Amino acid sequence: MTLTSQRSRAADQSAETARTPRARIGLGPRRPARVNRPHPALFLFPVPALVLYVVFFAIPTVEAVRYAVTDWDGFSADYNDVGASNFTTIATADSLFHNALFNNIKFMLVVVVFQTLLSLMLAVFLVKNTKSSVFLRSVYFFPTILSSVSVAFIWKFVYDPNYGLANGVLGAVGLDGLKSAYLGDDNKAIYFVAATQVWFHVGQMMVIYVAGLQQIPAELYESAEVDGASRWQLFRHVTWPMVAPATAIVIAYTTVQSFKAFDLILGLGGNPPKPSLDILSTRIYAGFANSEFGYAAAESIVFMLVIALVTWLQRRAVRLSQGAA
Amino acid sequence: MTPEQSRAVFGRRQILRGAAILGAGAAAAACAGPGTVRGGSRGPASQATAPAPIGTGKVSGDLSFAHWRAEDKAVFDKIIADFAKANPGTTVRQDISPSNDYQSTALQKIKGGAIGDAFTAFRGAQFVDMAKAGLFLDLSAQTFADSYLPKMARGGKDANGRQLGLPYQLVFNMPIFNVDLFERAGASEVPQDWDGFLELCEKLKGRGVVPLAWPGGEPANAGQLFNSMVMNNQPSDTSCADIESGKAKVTDDWFITTLKQYAQLRPFVEPKATGTSSEPLQQMFATGKAAMLATGSFHMAPVRKLGAKFPIDLVAPITVSKDKVKYVGIHNATFILGVNSASKKQDAALKFLEYLSDPEVASVYANGTGQHLTLTGVEYTSRDLKATEPWLTKNTLLAPRFQFNDLDLRAAVENACTEVLGGKDPEQAAEAAQRVVDQRRRS
Repeated sequence: MTLTSQRSRAADQSAETARTPRARIGLGPRRPARVNRPHPALFLFPVPALVLYVVFFAIPTVEAVRYAVTDWDGFSADYNDVGASNFTTIATADSLFHNALFNNIKFMLVVVVFQTLLSLMLAVFLVKNTKSSVFLRSVYFFPTILSSVSVAFIWKFVYDPNYGLANGVLGAVGLDGLKSAYLGDDNKAIYFVAATQVWFHVGQMMVIYVAGLQQIPAELYESAEVDGASRWQLFRHVTWPMVAPATAIVIAYTTVQSFKAFDLILGLGGNPPKPSLDILSTRIYAGFANSEFGYAAAESIVFMLVIALVTWLQRRAVRLSQGAA
Repeated sequence: MTPEQSRAVFGRRQILRGAAILGAGAAAAACAGPGTVRGGSRGPASQATAPAPIGTGKVSGDLSFAHWRAEDKAVFDKIIADFAKANPGTTVRQDISPSNDYQSTALQKIKGGAIGDAFTAFRGAQFVDMAKAGLFLDLSAQTFADSYLPKMARGGKDANGRQLGLPYQLVFNMPIFNVDLFERAGASEVPQDWDGFLELCEKLKGRGVVPLAWPGGEPANAGQLFNSMVMNNQPSDTSCADIESGKAKVTDDWFITTLKQYAQLRPFVEPKATGTSSEPLQQMFATGKAAMLATGSFHMAPVRKLGAKFPIDLVAPITVSKDKVKYVGIHNATFILGVNSASKKQDAALKFLEYLSDPEVASVYANGTGQHLTLTGVEYTSRDLKATEPWLTKNTLLAPRFQFNDLDLRAAVENACTEVLGGKDPEQAAEAAQRVVDQRRRS
């Protein structure tokens, strides 16, 4: 377009504008309706959340990074910058941390696998909104509303080797050989805590799966049945891929929960817990209790990185498995 | 920009820019060094002079009293009500945390000023850290500090000899026993040596009772037995501190001997003891199914509440022969009372401590809670306190486990004992514990 034609076009527009009623009373042209432009005040709405995020997450995170390179004890005015020394110690010379990490990975694997499978199984059986299903869903969901301390208290008595329910039942049915010290058995203690964690949260995950299952169109099952699919094939080729979003949520949430099962461990194992029950969150807490804020902050950062790495790996694994289905 | 656009005060970009500036400011603030974001720093108490003795003048204010003894709340409520009556305009609120939480978080809470005009501290690492953080007001000049037994008050002093706190409770961290069951097993007196102790355990077991109820599933209470087991075996009274400082090792002969003696106790503790916590054992002891409860005098009152009617006394396993006995038991002076050096109501807090130190008030507390106290002039009327009163003058050792200031290191050493009682080889357990000790000392 030439300069002359542009000027001519602008002049035409100006003449047209002058003929409108708004132009005659000295107003400019009406702006098009601002359908894509929200009121500026709407941008104030996220401010409370942003403030909370900054105060309770961003600042502590930045502080943790800052403290992680110091030997600050948590109360002194003085401290030394120690560079990466805290991280080096964690990586190479802290068997308590390594033990806690190993325990945590065992705990997480058991909880993620069993909690996911069990919650999916319960959801598949209880997906219909019949009275009995709704009642059973409530029953399975019930432990979720209890506090961790209450759950720990209940299970401490279940696991008591002399007066506990578990050994009592085994004794009553003549299986004395299976009686155990439970939390006192260093090789198995973490698995018994994992069992408690599964009992505690399986109902919550079941609800997520029920919501996911109810979104699957019935036509998919009908057409697969018409094609002669068996019940297992229906599950494998329809249900499992279609609950992928729910599975991703369940696994990510369960993983984070497994790393943060702090109060349950302290409730069952005491403070500080024995090495066989020590996980990363309790180890970090022990660091703070031991007035090693700098070191504990470094452990916290490693902790965050471990959770991020594990969650990423799991999401990839879920995507791959459901893509294959 | 149109006239309307120019009239808009906040656009999306301005708001995002503002949020970014706020975030950057907050991040920069967070980058300030430790201590500068926590209301400044308080130097150690050594920088302050001891305040003059609290007089008879009027005090007022709403005090916070931070402690961990939830079981004492009702007795404290009564004492506080009387204190408030005697000092109109003064109230005291009890800020109670469970003992484990208190051990972990009290320093930060009290330092932050949220609680604790008057507060308490555990003997050991917590007292040392609180003193280092300058939390304690120097009580050296207070005349009420003279009411405390000098031997016990020593636990509230710092390295410079200043009385920063006053240990209030005197507990005996050694097994309690059912006198009737001991007599039925033919024990006219408590065993005086290790062989005698094992023999008694054998007799008790023969009568169908658990000789020694030991809470191996609860590290904090499982470690109480450690005090008695090392008191006569250790080469010096500071051996636990020596392990922490590197002068002694967990693999030293005396400690291996101790671990081997732990192994000898395996047949005499309840089945699967490493998984048992103290609550079921209190029940076991209260119902006469266990002869000894390997925790301490602080469990006498709870077992009475569970219905125990039999006479109770204290017994420490003597791990050496009669001629080598140095101590016959263990004591600990704890629940160290202090006044917050940053409190604005120090006078009222001092008055409250003075009130608690009054022998009459202390007697109410002692008999109401079933605790011996470190004060002179306390009259014990409770059956169990009267029965165990002779222990106040016996040759007992200040609980050695609290010489460890590093809690992980202490846990490692005590866990070696737990593992041995659970079946692990003593040498292997000692080596594993020493590895942790070495790591902790290097870090």
